[in-house]
Amino acid sequence: MAIGAFVGLVGFSRSFEHEWLRMYESTGTDISVIQRTFLNTSVSESSGEALRKLPMVAQAMPMILNMADLTPEVNALTFGWKADSYELDSLKMVSGRRFRDGAPEVMLGEMLAETLNKKAGDTIEIQGSAFTVTGIYHGGSALEAAAVVMPLDQMQVLGAMDGKVTAFHVRLKPLPAGEDPDHYMKRAVSAIEAALPGLRAVPASEQAHNNQVVQLAHASAWGTSGIALLIGILGIANTMAMSVFERTREIGILRALGWKRWKVLVLIELEAVALGLAGGVLGILAGTGALHLLAALPQTASIVSAGISPLMLLETIGIALLAGLVAGLIPAWRGAHLSPVEALRHD
Amino acid sequence: MTEPLLEVRGLCKSYDEGRIEALRGVDLSICAGEFLAISGPSGSGKSTLLHLLGGLDFPTSGEVLFRGAKLGTTIDLDDYRSQKLGFIFQAFHLIPTLSVLENVQVPMLALSPCPRNRRDRAEKLLVELGLEHRLRQYPNELSAGERQRVAIGRALANNPEILLADEPTGNLDSVNSAKTMEILKGIQKQRGMTLIVVTHENDVAHSAARQIRLRDGRIEA
Repeated sequence: MAIGAFVGLVGFSRSFEHEWLRMYESTGTDISVIQRTFLNTSVSESSGEALRKLPMVAQAMPMILNMADLTPEVNALTFGWKADSYELDSLKMVSGRRFRDGAPEVMLGEMLAETLNKKAGDTIEIQGSAFTVTGIYHGGSALEAAAVVMPLDQMQVLGAMDGKVTAFHVRLKPLPAGEDPDHYMKRAVSAIEAALPGLRAVPASEQAHNNQVVQLAHASAWGTSGIALLIGILGIANTMAMSVFERTREIGILRALGWKRWKVLVLIELEAVALGLAGGVLGILAGTGALHLLAALPQTASIVSAGISPLMLLETIGIALLAGLVAGLIPAWRGAHLSPVEALRHD
Repeated sequence: MTEPLLEVRGLCKSYDEGRIEALRGVDLSICAGEFLAISGPSGSGKSTLLHLLGGLDFPTSGEVLFRGAKLGTTIDLDDYRSQKLGFIFQAFHLIPTLSVLENVQVPMLALSPCPRNRRDRAEKLLVELGLEHRLRQYPNELSAGERQRVAIGRALANNPEILLADEPTGNLDSVNSAKTMEILKGIQKQRGMTLIVVTHENDVAHSAARQIRLRDGRIEA
């Protein structure tokens, strides 16, 4: 159960992060410019002027990100972009056309369009306003595939964010010859932050990991699965304590036959680790199943991709083995320190 | 004069914070290759003495010496039990989840020889004890006599110098009792082992070359 929760929750938060990273990569964004503080997440749209004047900035596009309830069952990430944003270039139109600035128009990701059963030319209601679906696109990430993209100005009206945006996405000019990419990135970050005091310039790869939504997802996933793991460890410890109690005489026989304490300890620990491993394998299966289910549900399809990475598989196996090892420590120590005579008398 | 294999000096063992005195100053010498029977009524301290001779417990005072070396200090008790001793218990104490062949290999795991040698030796011992048709069976599928023969095989697994048997015939009928004692005496003679048997049965005690009788934690004169 604990490992299943770990795989499901941490897998969920990691796939969420992974999708963010894919989105940044597919759009070609190098830096995201955001507010420094957590509570105030909006940035003045006028900051774009100062950004574009910086010598290393090729493009700086304002954007708004929000979550919108489309039906009582379906909600979706909603992006507000300008019609000339470079980020639209990463979307491949499957049908219809792009939206126009100033018009009540939206584009739907193909996964979302299928869920909502919408096609180009249909109308969709968002937050009480009607929008025309101008096109269906194929996105580079699951986040985009199940998202709504609409004109930035329409998003500002819907979100009462007149003159405000969530962030600026920046594309840098090509790397100057002979300059190290990391150095170039650091130089760009410093230049942006110096030009726009109070704002933070975050490299896209870092933003995928550090953005507040992903961090909240990670924190709640680790917190919840940490509690589940603790319960799992207590469960294994209880099973092993019962096993040691029931096999007291058997342990007495082993000790009487000359088995050293450490060998008895290792024997019990191996059993606990095997128990942890078996639970871990079942948990991985259950957690992977849960991820597949979440990836298929319209409510979560946009932020979850099914499956877990090899690294996470190794981590999970490691955690399962460690849980067994920790859980077996006290029962193993008690078993190893039984007096052979007392243990042989045990009924 | 030959040095005794086992020597007991002023051995005392008390329980319950000294309220129960199981052994009250026992002195005893046992030579290599000897067959000794320890008898006495229930509560006389026979099993306690056997446990102390076998390094299963620590004395309250006094000492047990193996070839002149003190058990528990000069000699590690685990090493002593695994390398020098073979135990045979009244209740057999076989591990129910292991087959006959596996049970006999359990003491060998303490010394970790290779699995093939372990299996070959266990099989050889069981064939010698007439259990070649029971190798893959589990203890609950055997008769009491067969279980005790498996226990004897297990006791011989590491080729010990001493066999300690605690009421080895206590759970057997007369036919199996006689057979078990015949096997033990045969092993003692053939291998030159020291055999120490705790018993309350006169027949078994009389079959030993030497007998001591315990009463109230002391050796009777």
